[in-house]
Amino acid sequence: MTKAIASQSGRRGRALMDRRRLGRAAMLATGGFAFLYILVPLIFVTWLSFYRQEIPSYPPEGYSLRWYGAAAANERFIDAFLVSIQLGVISTAIGLAVALPAALGITRLRFRGRGALANMLLLPLIVPGIVLGFALYVFQVEIEIATSLPLLGSLGGLVWGHVLLVIPWATRLITASLEGFDRTLEEAAQNLGANRLTTFRRVTMPMILPGIVAGAIFGFVSSFGNLEVSLFLVGPGRTTLPIAILQYLQWKIDPTIAAISVLQITIIAAAMLVTDRFVKISRVV
Amino acid sequence: MSDAGAGGRADRPSTLFSASTLIGPATLLVAIGILAPMLFLARYSLNLYDPRLLMIEAFSPANYIAFFSDPFYLGVFFTTLRVSFVCTAVCIVLGFPLAYLLARTGSRMKNLMIIGIVIPLFVGNAVRAAGWMTFFGSRGLLSVTLMDLGLRDGPTEIMFTETAVIIGIIAVNLPYMVLTLQSVLEGIDRNLEEAAFSLGAPPWTMFRRVLWPLALPGIAAGTILCFILAMNAYATPVLLGGPQFRMMAPMVYNQFQLNNWPLAAALAFILMATTLGLTVVAGLMTRQSFRG
Repeated sequence: MTKAIASQSGRRGRALMDRRRLGRAAMLATGGFAFLYILVPLIFVTWLSFYRQEIPSYPPEGYSLRWYGAAAANERFIDAFLVSIQLGVISTAIGLAVALPAALGITRLRFRGRGALANMLLLPLIVPGIVLGFALYVFQVEIEIATSLPLLGSLGGLVWGHVLLVIPWATRLITASLEGFDRTLEEAAQNLGANRLTTFRRVTMPMILPGIVAGAIFGFVSSFGNLEVSLFLVGPGRTTLPIAILQYLQWKIDPTIAAISVLQITIIAAAMLVTDRFVKISRVV
Repeated sequence: MSDAGAGGRADRPSTLFSASTLIGPATLLVAIGILAPMLFLARYSLNLYDPRLLMIEAFSPANYIAFFSDPFYLGVFFTTLRVSFVCTAVCIVLGFPLAYLLARTGSRMKNLMIIGIVIPLFVGNAVRAAGWMTFFGSRGLLSVTLMDLGLRDGPTEIMFTETAVIIGIIAVNLPYMVLTLQSVLEGIDRNLEEAAFSLGAPPWTMFRRVLWPLALPGIAAGTILCFILAMNAYATPVLLGGPQFRMMAPMVYNQFQLNNWPLAAALAFILMATTLGLTVVAGLMTRQSFRG
C-alpha cells in the first residue's frame, strides 16, 4: 500500500520535474531570442560595413575595409562628429556642475518636497524628445523676438537643450554613489582636525569620484546620441552626427554609413565598458 | 557641508538655505528649460495658421477640432496607438524571460549581458534602423534567404511597411522592458518559487500565481515605459516606414517643417495627453488589481 503511494508520487514528481525542465528550456529559448533580437541590428550594420560592394545586397561579394576610409574622408560626417563631441563635452560640463550639488542636496538634506524635486530633475527623461525639442524651439523664438539675441540655431541654443538631457542621468548616477556613502568617514576626518573644505576635497570627493565619472559618461552619451531635441535646435551649417546619419539613411543605405555607425557603436561601447569599471552598470540602469 | 548632516530635523532654516543653494541651480535650469517652453508651446497650439501670414494670434480650439474631425489625422493617431500596443505586448512576452534569466544568473556573464543590452540603448535609433534596413531590403538577407529556401518566388518587401516599423520599435524598447523587469525580479526571493514547486505547482501555475503577481509593479512600470517610447518613436517610423507611413511624432515634425506651428503644437499636446492619460489609467488598473 505505502509502496504503491510512494511510486505513484515518485512518478508524479518525475513528471513535474520534466515540466520544470521544459519551463526552464522555454525561458532560456525565449530569453536568448530576446537578447539576440536586441543585438541583431547592430550586428547587421557592422557586417554591412565590411561588404566589398557598395550595394547592400546579400550575399556580399567579398569583404573590404575601404568603406572606413570613405567614411573618414567624408567631410560632412567629420564636421557633424566634431559638433557632437563639442556639444557633448560642453553640455556634460555644465550639467555636472549643477547635478553634483543637486545630488548632494537630495541625498544629504531632509526637507519637505525633496522627493518632488528629485522627480522634477528626471523630467527631461519623461517629456518626449520631439515635444521637448519643439517647445525649446518655440521658447527660443520668443526670447529672440523679445531680446534680439541670436539664440536660434546657435551653439548656445543647442547646448541649452543638451544640458537638460545630461542633468537627469548625472543626478541619478551621482545620487546612486552617494547613497552608499559612509558618513562616519567625514566625521573621522573632522575629528582629526580637517576643516570642511579639506574633508570634502580629501575624503568625500575621492569616494564619490566613480559616481561622477559614471554620471559624466552617461550624460555625454545621452547628449551624443540624441536626435529629436537636436533636430529642432540645429542651425544652418551645424549638424550633429545622429542627424547626419538620419538624413543620409533617408536617402540611401550603403557600407559608408554602416562604417560611420560602427564608429558610433564603438565609442558608446567603450564608454560603457569604462563606466562599468567605476560603477557597475547593472546597478544604475 | 556639515549643516547638511542635519538629517531628520526637517525644515530648519539652515537646511532650507543649503538645500536651495545645492539643488536650486539644477531645479531652475529644468524649470525654466522645460516648463516655460511647454507653456509657450501650449499657447501656440491655440493660435491659427494661414498659408500666407503663417501664424496668427488667436485663442481658438480650431487645431484640436481639426485634428479630431479629420480622418487623415485620426488615422495616423490610431496607427500610432495600434503600433504602440502591439510593440508593448511583444516586449512583455519577450522581455520577461530575458529579465528572469538575468535576475537568476549569478555568473560573471550577467554584467556583460547587461552591458550588451545597454549599448544598443544609447547607440541611437537611426543606427539600429540602418541594421534592419540591410536585413529587410529587397535584396537583403531575409528576402534572399526566403527565395533560396523556395518559400517565396519574388523578393519580400518588408521595408516601408507597418510590420517593419513594429519589428524595429520592439528592438528599441525591449532593453527598457528587460532592465525594468530585471531589477524587480531580482528582489523576488527564489525560495518562493521553490516553495511553489515543492507544493506540486507546475511551472506555468508557479509563474501565474507567484512570479507574475510579485513582479506586477515592474511589469506595470516596464509596460508604461515601453508604451510611452513607442507612442513617441521618431527615427524608426521615419526610416523603416518611409514617407508613406505616418506616426504621430514624425507628423509633429512634418507640420513644423511645413510652417504650420499651431497645428504641430496641438499635435504635440494631443500626443502627450494621450500618452499620459493611458499611463495614468494603466497605473490605476494595476493598483486596483493589487487590492483585489
